[in-house]
Amino acid sequence: MNINWYLAVSALVFCIGAAGVLVRRNPLVILLCLELMLNAANLALIAFSRMHGNGDGQVFAVIVMVVAACEVCIGLGIVVAMYRRRLPIDVDEMRELHG
Amino acid sequence: MLRTYLPAIVFVGLGTLVGAIFTMMNSWFGPKRKRTPTTFKQDPYECGLPSEVQQGFRFGISFYLIAMLFILFDIEVVFLYPVAVQLRAFGTFALIETIVFIALLVVAFVYVWRRGALEWR
Amino acid sequence: MKHEAPNIDWAGLSPVIALLGGAIVVLLAGLLRSRLVRERAVPFLAIVAFGASLGLGIWQWGEDAQVFIAKGSQATLAFDELTLMVTFIVAVAGIATVLLSWRALAPREAAHGEFYALLLTSAAGMVAMAGAQNLVTLFLGLELLSVPLYVLCATEMRRERSLESGLKYLIIGSTGSAVFLYGLALIYGATGGTDLREIATGAAGEAGGDVLLLTGIGLTIVGLGFKASVAPFHQWTPDGYEGAPTPVTAFMAVATKAAAFGAMLRLLDVGLIDAQPDWAPLLAILATITIVVGNVGALGQSSLKRLLAWSSVAQAGYLLAGVVVASSLGVSATVFYLAVYTMMNLAAFAVIVARERETPWGDDIASVAGIGVSRPALAWPLTISMLSLAGLPATAGFIGKFYLIDAAVDGGYTWLGIVIVIGSMISLAYYLRVVAAMWMRAEVAAVSATAQPRLAGADPEAERPQWELYLVAIAAGAATIFFGVIPSPLFDLATAAGRSLGLL
Repeated sequence: MNINWYLAVSALVFCIGAAGVLVRRNPLVILLCLELMLNAANLALIAFSRMHGNGDGQVFAVIVMVVAACEVCIGLGIVVAMYRRRLPIDVDEMRELHG
Repeated sequence: MLRTYLPAIVFVGLGTLVGAIFTMMNSWFGPKRKRTPTTFKQDPYECGLPSEVQQGFRFGISFYLIAMLFILFDIEVVFLYPVAVQLRAFGTFALIETIVFIALLVVAFVYVWRRGALEWR
Repeated sequence: MKHEAPNIDWAGLSPVIALLGGAIVVLLAGLLRSRLVRERAVPFLAIVAFGASLGLGIWQWGEDAQVFIAKGSQATLAFDELTLMVTFIVAVAGIATVLLSWRALAPREAAHGEFYALLLTSAAGMVAMAGAQNLVTLFLGLELLSVPLYVLCATEMRRERSLESGLKYLIIGSTGSAVFLYGLALIYGATGGTDLREIATGAAGEAGGDVLLLTGIGLTIVGLGFKASVAPFHQWTPDGYEGAPTPVTAFMAVATKAAAFGAMLRLLDVGLIDAQPDWAPLLAILATITIVVGNVGALGQSSLKRLLAWSSVAQAGYLLAGVVVASSLGVSATVFYLAVYTMMNLAAFAVIVARERETPWGDDIASVAGIGVSRPALAWPLTISMLSLAGLPATAGFIGKFYLIDAAVDGGYTWLGIVIVIGSMISLAYYLRVVAAMWMRAEVAAVSATAQPRLAGADPEAERPQWELYLVAIAAGAATIFFGVIPSPLFDLATAAGRSLGLL
């Protein structure tokens, strides 16, 4: 098994996620892109775990999955709270705080 | 001496380059205020197919609340799965750990329940 | 295959158990119907939990407890002097935050139980992060610290800015976490272990100088930089600080920084110590950028919270100097400065909270104008805090900076010491502006009582001066002076923390 291909895919997914966070305006899409970044790290962890033949990376990946779900839930919660207050759901429109 | 720094310098250079590229990409591809987005861009799913959902249709807030709680309680099962597979190997210790873990989940459940988050409004 | 149960040192773990157990008790107590219980007993229980953690930490001092030892590997969590110092800082900051938010709007809007439980959980995450000797524990600690803070930022739900700062902090903080995680994954890939000792062995051997390892270190530093608000990853800091409820800002400012630097010290000085020639120049450059950006950014600010946010960026730059040199002296200097920084900032934030409730100007610099005459009990702590942040002699900030510069010079980074001095000189400009506003300007009279409508839910009790704010402000201010004149007690603690990592 050649680790490089897994790493290349993982780096690509990470970059797509990072680019998405920078470029997109909708917080929901940004949260999706954050998931991409975390899952890219998961892919790398599992590939390395296979390469080294120890389970540490897999344990790490399982924990990351749970943590990612928590983060997204908090994000969704805040977005719903903003939606209920009829605030603009667009990160470019958020200009209350500036500087 | 300088050779040991070479990877670091290459790394800094690459980092700057990637950072600069992303910043430039941001201004190239990023939303421009003047151009009005096409109707496809404003669709909930940018797949080109017209959305089936009628305008004005809305999910209630309870729907989102329950959905989020479901995700949270659902994902916790991930921790039970490896223990279940290896329970014999780990023995009593793992069993006690699992019981503690579930007890903590019950605390969360009691909290959510008493706060009225599970009631459908 | 039979596994052995890991060895858990319950006594060593007790400071974290106190925090997390406290969080559960507080959460459930917040469910009770009685208003008295919710508004009085819940904050009291939170203080008890923080106090218990502090006390148990003192009890464990010198024990060097190693918690969670699985067979054949290093403990995932070490309660050595460095971790315990971070525990003390976090517990003190936590107690102060509970006092500051006791009669604030945020816990009332978010329900008392939730607010204090989140605070306690975040504190537990900070302790875990500072003590983590394993990449998995490190990441878990980081997330346990961050996720409750995202919620705490957004707790004043009826204020747009609070929600906005919560979402911004969430997006930027999660990006930082993701970058950090990717860095950890690459370090694991390069060295084949998640344990800091295994990583150290790997980095000293064949993996040393590997591109994978270097990229991993770079990404990890970026991720921690986000948390510690190191430039150029500091952009969230002013927005996050300004939008969050002020007591939460105080906690974010001091405790997060302590945890992030604790983790940075342990990861870089234990796990990656052999790669020090690779990361030290990078960090030194980051420190310089941070000092310049922070101090210049603070110059034009009229909001006190934004000013302190930029100043915290600059302070992060000073603190980095202690990490760069990777010596026992550097670790002690960083820990000493973190403790001092906690006191100075708590004094300042207590005064800001007090003036936010008394005047309609919120956290604008106008709110403290002329308080030298009308409220000397608030003016003195803020003055001491500002002078100490600027690093004037006879304050703890001076000793702290002196110590950091000493460490930088000792480690061969004399130029970084000079940068710190220049940064402090620039910083005098904006710190003295606040001091001048307090003592030399007249109090800005309120145009009318309805100049700015009070937020719904605020009760008239909030108008009167509140003893707990004075208590925090005066205690923190007094401590700043005390450790400025007699630094040796704190100095001894910091030296012990410096020795605990096993550096030269």
